Amino acid sequence: MKIVDRHDEAPGVRTMKLEFQDPADHELFKETYRTGMFGLYGVYGEGESTFCVASPETRKEYIECTFRESGRVTSALARADIGDLVTFRGPYGNRFPLEEFYGKNLLFIAGGIALPPTRSVIWSCLDQREKFGKVTIVYGARTVADLVYKHELEEWMQRDDVELVLAVDPGGESPDWKHRIGFVPTVLEEAAPSPDNCVAVLCGPPIMIKFTLISLKKLGFDESNVYTTLENRMKCGLGKCGRCNVGSIYVCKEGPVFTAEEVSRMPAADL
Amino acid sequence: MTKILFTDKLDSCVERWRSAGMTVIGPVQRANSSVYGAVKSASELDLNLVLTDRSIKELFFPQSEPMLRYAITKAEINTDEFLPPSGPRIIFGARACDASGLAIDDPLFGWDYKDEYWFQRRNESVIVTIACTKADEFCMCTSLKLSPDSTKGSDILLRPLENNKGWQVEELTDRGREAFKSVADLLQEGSDPAAATVTVPEKFNADACAEWLKNPENFESRFWKEISARCIGCGSCTYLCPTCHCFDIQDEGGSFEGIRRKNWDSCSFALFTMHTSGHNPRSTQSARWRQRIMHKFNYFPGKFSANSCSGCGRCTRECPVDMGITETLQEISKLSQ
Repeated sequence: MKIVDRHDEAPGVRTMKLEFQDPADHELFKETYRTGMFGLYGVYGEGESTFCVASPETRKEYIECTFRESGRVTSALARADIGDLVTFRGPYGNRFPLEEFYGKNLLFIAGGIALPPTRSVIWSCLDQREKFGKVTIVYGARTVADLVYKHELEEWMQRDDVELVLAVDPGGESPDWKHRIGFVPTVLEEAAPSPDNCVAVLCGPPIMIKFTLISLKKLGFDESNVYTTLENRMKCGLGKCGRCNVGSIYVCKEGPVFTAEEVSRMPAADL
Repeated sequence: MTKILFTDKLDSCVERWRSAGMTVIGPVQRANSSVYGAVKSASELDLNLVLTDRSIKELFFPQSEPMLRYAITKAEINTDEFLPPSGPRIIFGARACDASGLAIDDPLFGWDYKDEYWFQRRNESVIVTIACTKADEFCMCTSLKLSPDSTKGSDILLRPLENNKGWQVEELTDRGREAFKSVADLLQEGSDPAAATVTVPEKFNADACAEWLKNPENFESRFWKEISARCIGCGSCTYLCPTCHCFDIQDEGGSFEGIRRKNWDSCSFALFTMHTSGHNPRSTQSARWRQRIMHKFNYFPGKFSANSCSGCGRCTRECPVDMGITETLQEISKLSQ
């Protein structure tokens, strides 16, 4: 796929916009892609790396992906420039069941670099806004600099049909920071969204998910109404290579989207 | 009347199969190790082994296999896919545990996405299994509800005659019948008595183990740390196992041309599940050993209705620290009493 746009989101975090070279591949993508699915992005000579499709299912003309430069493949992807070709395998995995969210209030909770998978669902819903009730987004990062999609955060902030709660960890604020200071679970409890007729989508590092689930429980959310994505190490994406197993689950086939209820039945030590 | 293949006719069979365009493969000695390798004549076959050191798996799922060649120019990326080497072959002298191992892995490679590398080789191979007349202390097929003369995964089963004179031939599949049609005139009808297959004592109760493993309370048992304390994570048990199938995909070459390969990997390796972030869900050797046992005897049977183990015992036979599945399941059998 060709890189048609790219920009830096935060230190070491970059978004790339990719366009298909082969119309047949693009058609297949349009037929199959639903929000929540992931891909294997690669650079020949370096290998492939797994991350989500960050663009929504309502915009299938391109693929956007956001990644942190942290290993061999992501470093190579970060070196690639506009016009360069990179590889994409996918989309793989299951999806957020958007139809089941129709008519419900939505609560999105994300931490740091986990906003990209959440953003895919957020835009998939905002692009058909009339089908959903109240939309609340709680997003936190370690520092102001680490917040991704700053221009979109600004846009959500301006919208009167979205409530955006932004936070940075204590010490991560800048002198002009006007939003909340605190860890995501605490900020969530302070914001106290109602669990009535509400579905929560939660993405973040394992430790954030662990504590946010406790907060959601305190707020009265049922585990069956909380969705999350497991981002295990994956390689084949086809349920064969054995790398992404959590218990009997192949995350690449049966996930990455699970309800908190499903996750609670998995062996916690494997997560 | 039973068909008999007498030992002195085997060389003619090999010649016949080879001249029909089949590659003939069987147990051979290569570089101080016994493997399944291609032969030109029956004299190269070593059919008296209890078992080859290396399993049959690598004939279907090689340790390292090219998948794709890439060449990058300024304007475009050109790729050529490698396809599995094509051609009919007959594997003569497989052991029942190795043939069973292939049948155990078929649903995994066929689940959802059908792995053409595996199935092309499966479809082009005739598996001629020889029932075992000897075993060693590590053999455990009977503990896995298999047997030294199991037909699972085989196209032909040969039962050795007394005094090594030859074999009774049991044709099990059309593929096997087809391969033996070309040597029909070399077979004889007869009623020579088959030698007794070896008796392999049951070493553990697989059903009781499965029940113990299914109990979530046992997931965090101290047992895992104790039983795996001496595991050094070398992965040799997984590489030698006929059913272990974990792999990695790696690029080999430079920025402009090279090959993408599928290589064996192992759930025993510390980096197997390591995330780039540094988070490692299975960061201890005991967690990795638990995963291996759970996968083989709890998760895999839950998904594919068979244990991911055919009882060959190589994991124990070749373990540098004398661990292995047998000991673990024996201990679990005791715990579940």
